[in-house]
Amino acid sequence: MKDKNLEQLKREYLDVPIPKELDFVVNKALKDGSRHHRNMLKRVGKVIVSLAAAVALFTAVLNVSPAFAKTVAEVPFVGNIVKVLTFRNYIINEDTFQADINVPQIQGLANKDLENSLNEKYLLENKKLYDQFMADMEEIKKNGGGHIGIYSGYEVKTDNEVILAVARYVVNTAASSSTTIKYDTIDKQKQTLITLPSLFKEDRYVAIISENIKQQMSEQMKSDENKIYWIEFLGRELSFEPFDKIAKDQNFYINEVGNLVISFNKYEVAPGYMGTPEFIIPTEVIADILVGHQYIK
Amino acid sequence: MKNNLEKQIAEYVTKYKENHYRLAFSYVKNPEDALDIVQESIYKALSAKDTLKNSDHIKTWFYRIVVNTALDFLRKRKRVGVMDEEILSTLEGGAVDHYQNIDLQRALDALPIKYRSVVVLRYFEDLKIEEIAYILNENVNTVKTRLYKSLEKLRLQMNDDVREGLV
Repeated sequence: MKDKNLEQLKREYLDVPIPKELDFVVNKALKDGSRHHRNMLKRVGKVIVSLAAAVALFTAVLNVSPAFAKTVAEVPFVGNIVKVLTFRNYIINEDTFQADINVPQIQGLANKDLENSLNEKYLLENKKLYDQFMADMEEIKKNGGGHIGIYSGYEVKTDNEVILAVARYVVNTAASSSTTIKYDTIDKQKQTLITLPSLFKEDRYVAIISENIKQQMSEQMKSDENKIYWIEFLGRELSFEPFDKIAKDQNFYINEVGNLVISFNKYEVAPGYMGTPEFIIPTEVIADILVGHQYIK
Repeated sequence: MKNNLEKQIAEYVTKYKENHYRLAFSYVKNPEDALDIVQESIYKALSAKDTLKNSDHIKTWFYRIVVNTALDFLRKRKRVGVMDEEILSTLEGGAVDHYQNIDLQRALDALPIKYRSVVVLRYFEDLKIEEIAYILNENVNTVKTRLYKSLEKLRLQMNDDVREGLV
């Protein structure tokens, strides 16, 4: 091997174009810092502690007195005692294998069918994560080792008189991490699950919301060159399908002030460093096709 | 004290971000994933800063994180079964046509990862054998053997591809 050849290879190595996003990625990573995963968990931990205390007391009373439970369910402020708490927590901590799986549980809904079906879903989702993690861990151990981690948890996005919105997230770390978030938005008064289609009179909402999101994406890209979404923009070439429209049952929730928020998973509409993008849809954009103004204001 | 360490890490990763990007790119071969690896490596570095015993070793310490993150990434991709890493590197080698010497580049890309790693770290990043041994978590002799074998393989492959002309 001649030095000349190695030098040639080295030149090619050094010639790899540096994307302009690199600055942004490095700065963002430093800013998010070590709080990244850890804080996400810590925050959840705090919620658990305070909620758990309140709920433990409450369930004790409910269990003791069926009559009391019935009375409470009939009291108008019933909405306020619908709570989310951690039902179960699985932790695996073996040097390169880390799992912290938190199963949420909703309590206090008078509609027990809804409550049970949601809680069953949460348990099932997390059991699947756990089983998959154990299987991956075995496989990786057989193949000589590696690092994997999984964190799952939840966050109460909205909790007001009408709405309880719970986000469940899964952060999967094996080298680059992927994050998926799912939401359940519950009407505490009617005790029903709100779905995206149920908010609208007609199917046009898919097109209207998608159009608005694409507009927001373009505006963000225009005002900040570090932001990138996978849409057609200024003739930029895309190596894959651009974002076209939201799914009929796209992830969403309703925030504290009554805005519709559409959410995407990591990689769904943007490169990984953009995280899990969320878009607040201005209410006037969808006002005409809303079924009512009870949830969205 | 701790904040000081964090500051040193921040300064270091900012100053040498291009090196880290190139290193990550040499494994994953595409900008999106390479950016992801840089980002993830910084997260890991900050959350594991206590494992940096001596700030003089920050360079090899961080390189080790980048290499491990990239390897984990490739392993995951392999498991997901998108594309075999070696097929991928052959394809990439063919698709990019600005190389002045395609065969040479292809020969390097065709090397198994553990051989390619030592070539990259030794000749392109100009690290010492001892430093490479630490980064790859191997002993010095293993690194030397791999380096020797890599050069051997490169030479063989080039001979097969272009029997003459590369003397």
